[in-house]
Amino acid sequence: MRDKRLEKKLRLISLQLDSWKRLHDLITYGLDKAKPIISVEQERQFTEVRAHLLQEIEHVFRELDLLAELAGRAMNVLNRGSSLRAVRELSTEDARRIEAEWNAVFTRLGIVQGQLKSDRKILASQNIFEYYIRSLLRKPLRT
Amino acid sequence: MESRVLILNHDPVFEDRLLSFFDSEDGIEIRVVRSVSEAVQVLIAENFDGFIVEGPGSLSIEAATVARQHFPSLKVLCVPWQRLKNDLLEEAERQQITTADGTTSNKRLRRDVMQFVRSLQNHRNVPEEGIDPCHSLIGNLNQFSAAEILQMACLSQRSGRFTLKSSRGKSEIYLHHGSVRHAVYGTLEGEAAVAEIFRWRQGRFYFEEGLISHAHTVDRPWAHLLIDNLQKLDETLDVATVAPKQ
Repeated sequence: MRDKRLEKKLRLISLQLDSWKRLHDLITYGLDKAKPIISVEQERQFTEVRAHLLQEIEHVFRELDLLAELAGRAMNVLNRGSSLRAVRELSTEDARRIEAEWNAVFTRLGIVQGQLKSDRKILASQNIFEYYIRSLLRKPLRT
Repeated sequence: MESRVLILNHDPVFEDRLLSFFDSEDGIEIRVVRSVSEAVQVLIAENFDGFIVEGPGSLSIEAATVARQHFPSLKVLCVPWQRLKNDLLEEAERQQITTADGTTSNKRLRRDVMQFVRSLQNHRNVPEEGIDPCHSLIGNLNQFSAAEILQMACLSQRSGRFTLKSSRGKSEIYLHHGSVRHAVYGTLEGEAAVAEIFRWRQGRFYFEEGLISHAHTVDRPWAHLLIDNLQKLDETLDVATVAPKQ
């Protein structure tokens, strides 16, 4: 069987992870030591991904019970990286910090995604009676 | 086997009414993209049974039309968030785009969307991978594009059948004295099938000399087909990299 709440969380987390991966690709490009040219299109993509994350993180992190844990770190990344050019001009220390903060958010989201997928797998092997018996016995899944 | 559906939604986190229908459905794999260019990139790289576009009225029809023009075999459902004017509905019908009213009740919209998804199972292209090694010319589309191999066969005035097999299904192109005579891919025939095959980037092909088709669905000379389809392919790649409209 499928749990709607679990599926919704998985949908939200995969959208978030997609955006964080894209942001990382662009940050890595911006921090490239060879300083390749930053095109208008890349700058536009960066702004777009950043805009999606800015409007979505609070809602998604709240749905996933991660607001307290990750909101600050996520905002640090988004505030420091205001544009690709700004990322390129970051000091070595700030660049290291932005990478570390990104990594913390990405790792936590990845772990939660794995846990949710594991819950989905367990649920898939249960029928509706087992599910309700488990609920009555107060042995709910993580959802 | 799961149906694979690509969904274009500009705001999938907050406007998730349609997406939530899939949360309780088994046997459907969905992938969500946020822009037309992203959708085209994904459609070039992967095989989907259907494409659902939801969004503001005219923009959703525009996105669905782009998908229809660049991927003729794709089943497209357009779910505009506002009621569409008659001219837009007529345009959708002309482009063979199925529409569902996005302003209707959840129950009704869900019924329409699931009806579309169920209809995909009847039109699914079965993945074809196996190749018989005894054919005279065998190759891989990763190394030679469909345009290149057809160009070679047409220049040498060959007659026979090219069979192309990939995860998207099986297609056949019949040549007669160096001209394309007939092409078939799923329900598509003729030039539409050739256009679709030109976009394949993965799969294998083989050529069987001497097999002539009785059906004659392609009339134009090879050079015209080649130029037109390469131009269309360029346009598709342009859409995949262009900035989305705000």
